Amino acid sequence: MDLIAKERDRVLQRVARAYGLGFAIVSGVCFVLPGAAAGSTELALGVGLYVVLGAAWSMIGTSRHPIWLLLALLAGLGILAIATHLGSVTVSRGGMLSLQLLVSGSLAAVAIVLTGTAPRIVGLGIAFLLVTGTALSATGASQAPLRTGGLLLLGWMLSAGVGLWISSSVPQVSKRIASIGRAHRAERQASELEAQRRQSARLLHDTVLATLTLLAHSGVGVTPEALREQAAEDAILLRQLRLGSTPTPQASGSYRLASGGEAEPELGRTLESVKQRFGRMGLAVNWHGTGQVLLPSEVLDAFLLALAECLENVRRHSGVTQAHVTITDDASTVRAMVTDAGVGFDIADIEEANLGFAESVVARLRDVGGNARLFSSPGAGTTVVLEVPK
Amino acid sequence: MTTRTSHKGTLGGVVTGAGRAASRTARRLGHVSAQPTLGTPHLTRGADLVVVLRAVYGIAWFAVLWNHYPAQGAAVSAWAVLLVVIACTIVASRAGGDRMPHWVFALVVAGLMTAVVLDLVAVWELRDLGSTLTAATTAGAALLLVVTQRGAVEVLVAAGGIGLVLAVAMIVNAPPGASLDADHVAPQLATLAFAVLPAVIGVVCVHGYRGMVQRELDRVQVQSNVSAPRYAVGMLASEELARLDFAAERLLESIATGKSALPLDAATASIAASLATELRLHLIEGRRETWLYHAVSESELLGRSVTLVDKSALAGLLDAGQRDGLLSAAWMLVGDVRKKSTPHRSITIQLGPLTSATASDDHKILVPITMTSVGIRRNRVDPSIWAALGRVGRYSDSTEAGSLRVDIEAAVDNPVEV
Repeated sequence: MDLIAKERDRVLQRVARAYGLGFAIVSGVCFVLPGAAAGSTELALGVGLYVVLGAAWSMIGTSRHPIWLLLALLAGLGILAIATHLGSVTVSRGGMLSLQLLVSGSLAAVAIVLTGTAPRIVGLGIAFLLVTGTALSATGASQAPLRTGGLLLLGWMLSAGVGLWISSSVPQVSKRIASIGRAHRAERQASELEAQRRQSARLLHDTVLATLTLLAHSGVGVTPEALREQAAEDAILLRQLRLGSTPTPQASGSYRLASGGEAEPELGRTLESVKQRFGRMGLAVNWHGTGQVLLPSEVLDAFLLALAECLENVRRHSGVTQAHVTITDDASTVRAMVTDAGVGFDIADIEEANLGFAESVVARLRDVGGNARLFSSPGAGTTVVLEVPK
Repeated sequence: MTTRTSHKGTLGGVVTGAGRAASRTARRLGHVSAQPTLGTPHLTRGADLVVVLRAVYGIAWFAVLWNHYPAQGAAVSAWAVLLVVIACTIVASRAGGDRMPHWVFALVVAGLMTAVVLDLVAVWELRDLGSTLTAATTAGAALLLVVTQRGAVEVLVAAGGIGLVLAVAMIVNAPPGASLDADHVAPQLATLAFAVLPAVIGVVCVHGYRGMVQRELDRVQVQSNVSAPRYAVGMLASEELARLDFAAERLLESIATGKSALPLDAATASIAASLATELRLHLIEGRRETWLYHAVSESELLGRSVTLVDKSALAGLLDAGQRDGLLSAAWMLVGDVRKKSTPHRSITIQLGPLTSATASDDHKILVPITMTSVGIRRNRVDPSIWAALGRVGRYSDSTEAGSLRVDIEAAVDNPVEV
């Protein structure tokens, strides 16, 4: 079943409950007033049935089962029969008003839920005929049938109208909601593309992140000129990204890598740009070993990010201005060894304090199937081994 | 700048951040929650119609009673005031926006009260308020005119006010020594009911209707996740990323132009630090989340009651039909609230872990999905849920300690082979 149809039924049920229960309570209160019921037996039985009626209405608010509608109708008709002794007793004016509220108010509320589908409308017709027939024959002695019948018709038409009115708006609303859903899907796809574009500019973000990290340490350790230059460059790149292009950090900047368009960019060229960048920040990087390794761009990205992260740690923590990077490769793996002769540290201390290493270096390498290992002790410098698959 | 609490569990892991989801959704869906008015013009027209019909009915009685009025002037003015208020309110609500300004609402209520008082004055001498009030009861029903444009509480308070005035008048007006029997009291009760009940029913109707529209909107938005790729960044990530990028750009620019002096002061440095952290989180976070994570976190309904355990992001492997089935089933299980007394109706959806035995030869693997529910009984489950689950895969259900548990085996394309 259509979900919106279910939602619609839920609304109708709630409205019917408010309507039916409200009138049932008023009618019930009128019924227990002295003089409304013919005797104490009638009063007791009637009150019992009113309780049943109230319970049925409470259930109709939440349950779609037709049995509750039937129960409400039967309880109502039962009250009618008891109060009038099946039409053989004349009811007082107050008692008649109570019954009128019952049949034209409370029982009429079943019409609210009995709209929308053909079987329900048939059910509505049967219920209406049943209630009208019983009411007319039972109260014929107490009130002019024209008045009873007129008020009945009025009440039932009103509640059926309420039900129809609510149901009739649902297809329209459903259409509007569906179009909002389509718009939303398009928006989602657009935003997805946009986010991917921004995320794919990972190298750009990496230089930005590196600069931001420098700034987070108030730019200590780097000449203000170099930092300004770097900041200006990064700002321009971010601006380009914002304006819709995917900027590729160029030669004068920190990277010379194309944005991943090349399937296997050359490692050597890009290592040189990392070196330049750190050179500007006061850390001399010495390369050793091979400079001609081809890597898939995704792996290369991760490798370079991890490498730059390691060099940044050296620059910030080691207390020396020189680092050595040795690149070796065999048939399956490319390995970089980042070594410094700085202060070093106790690994047990650092691993808890510096989660950045785990997140930025290890996680990135693991993403592409690589690994990182860290060796250090106080006073003995630090060595990081980075490995990625070829 | 907002500082984020780190949420380690977001990487395809446990999603329990319902609060976070709700607030983000609320923020994000500002344009949607501004639309609970969808379909309410129709309701307003219906309410207007009911009030007009009620007024016609009231006027008919007024005409019948005309010769009995001790103060005909007051009776006429009551109806005149009431009709003017009704007409002006209908016009104002057509011309105005979705919400009626406070002063207009105050005017409407004041006008209705005036009509009530005038009508009371008109029939006071007859000592039979139950059978002779016409404009006063119609005035209560006329509150339906504003039911779509003012808060439920305001309308109910106004209706209660009218009811209270009428009730007090009836008590004061009762002839000394009048008996409390049905013939005297029942008509008065009925009059009170006709004055107050329409507004109450109207409030219930509008409240339910808005709930329906809101839920449907929520659902179509969540539904758009079904066509998302295996990993998606979600609606919010892009915006957040753009915001962070822009903040970083401005910061860097201010440094490049020398607006911020180097070395930076502590405040700016900490801004840079938190920007870097947020940006890093975003660049990592965005890649790992599946459509199901986004669906749960973006939806107000699901976010509140669904816990997702999907450590290996297996939800991403399901095809569109399976996703739709799973989402519908979850939606129906959670959304089918029958009683307000069971607020902790919640479900846990766990995907995986994959077992080695689940690989099959036709390039498919079987992803075990377990839905465990709290507060949902087997016989209370809507039958259409089983149809929805059937679209996900082979399922079996069992009952554990009164809660329903469904095990589903979804056959998906093996990502290694594709």
